Amino acid sequence: MRSVILKAGATVLTLGTTLASALYVTAHLKNPSAPLQPAVLVSQPGDTVGGVTITPGVRQSDVQPVTSTYAS
Amino acid sequence: MPRNAAVEAHHFEALGTSCSLFGVGVSRTDLVRGEFWVRKLGGRVTRFSDRSELAALNRADGEWADVSPDMEALLREALRAYELSGGLVNAAVLPSMLAIGYTRPLAEGTPIASVAVVHPAPRLVDVLAVRRGRARLERGCGLDLGGVAKGWMADRLAAQLGSNSLANLGGDLYAAGQGPGGGGWPVGFGGKTVMLRDQGAATSSVRKRRWGALHHLIDPRTGLPSNSGLEEVSVVAATACDAEIVAKTALLLGPGVATAFCAAHAQAWRFGR
Repeated sequence: MRSVILKAGATVLTLGTTLASALYVTAHLKNPSAPLQPAVLVSQPGDTVGGVTITPGVRQSDVQPVTSTYAS
Repeated sequence: MPRNAAVEAHHFEALGTSCSLFGVGVSRTDLVRGEFWVRKLGGRVTRFSDRSELAALNRADGEWADVSPDMEALLREALRAYELSGGLVNAAVLPSMLAIGYTRPLAEGTPIASVAVVHPAPRLVDVLAVRRGRARLERGCGLDLGGVAKGWMADRLAAQLGSNSLANLGGDLYAAGQGPGGGGWPVGFGGKTVMLRDQGAATSSVRKRRWGALHHLIDPRTGLPSNSGLEEVSVVAATACDAEIVAKTALLLGPGVATAFCAAHAQAWRFGR
């Protein structure tokens, strides 16, 4: 008799958990507009002026250069 | 933040080219010591001197050779350059260089233009093995560390000189720190001035070191001087060595792919055709 009660209790608990899970999932639908990954806010390919392309990581200036890169 | 702090400068000829060192809060003695370091290390990594470490490795005939820590680090950098460039920056192009007549420094005379039998360069990762204090190069192969050595040395020299310094070794340069005015080091780049701060720059070109219809920049895919449609590429990147690798790779890729490669690996670039 005791084992039957335990089996019935386990069955009820399982079914109850399953039902509760189904209700919870139904009530908490995934936001379909949620991004899958961080969005790219702005594409910054860099400015090309006079054949020179400079990305935002490099700052231009009108200061007299102390040296330069050159072919050697 | 310093405002137009005094810059100490030192210029000299080494590595077959012009070199310049700059520093804020650096003594002239430090800069001259930097020159000594360049000359000493340059003498060990050149392929033109029979007494250099590189020459010893090149003639080791497939045997393991002892290498200094600097040489070991430089060889590892050459392997990194090979990987980063997809095999285009390949130090194992020495046989091709010799085949086209580039057998001695240009300062000692113009090579005789010739194209002997040339082959594509072997894969560097297949012929060069580096262990702690030792290296092995496959028999019949040869290394020219060329521009990678210049960039690598510029990066290390600037670090040695101090936190606010610039080392320019034949156009391969690294600018460390905030420069004399606090906004970075002003560097000429394709006719413009860019402010570099913990950044490197380099130029790869076929306009120099050329003789007849030949030049020194070998395409390892053919074993012949590059004919990609680009004659000169200048690049700003995180380090001088990275800039050198990206510039040479872009030049070898040619105008079709170079832009995309630079967009992925460089912070600024300029192509000359």
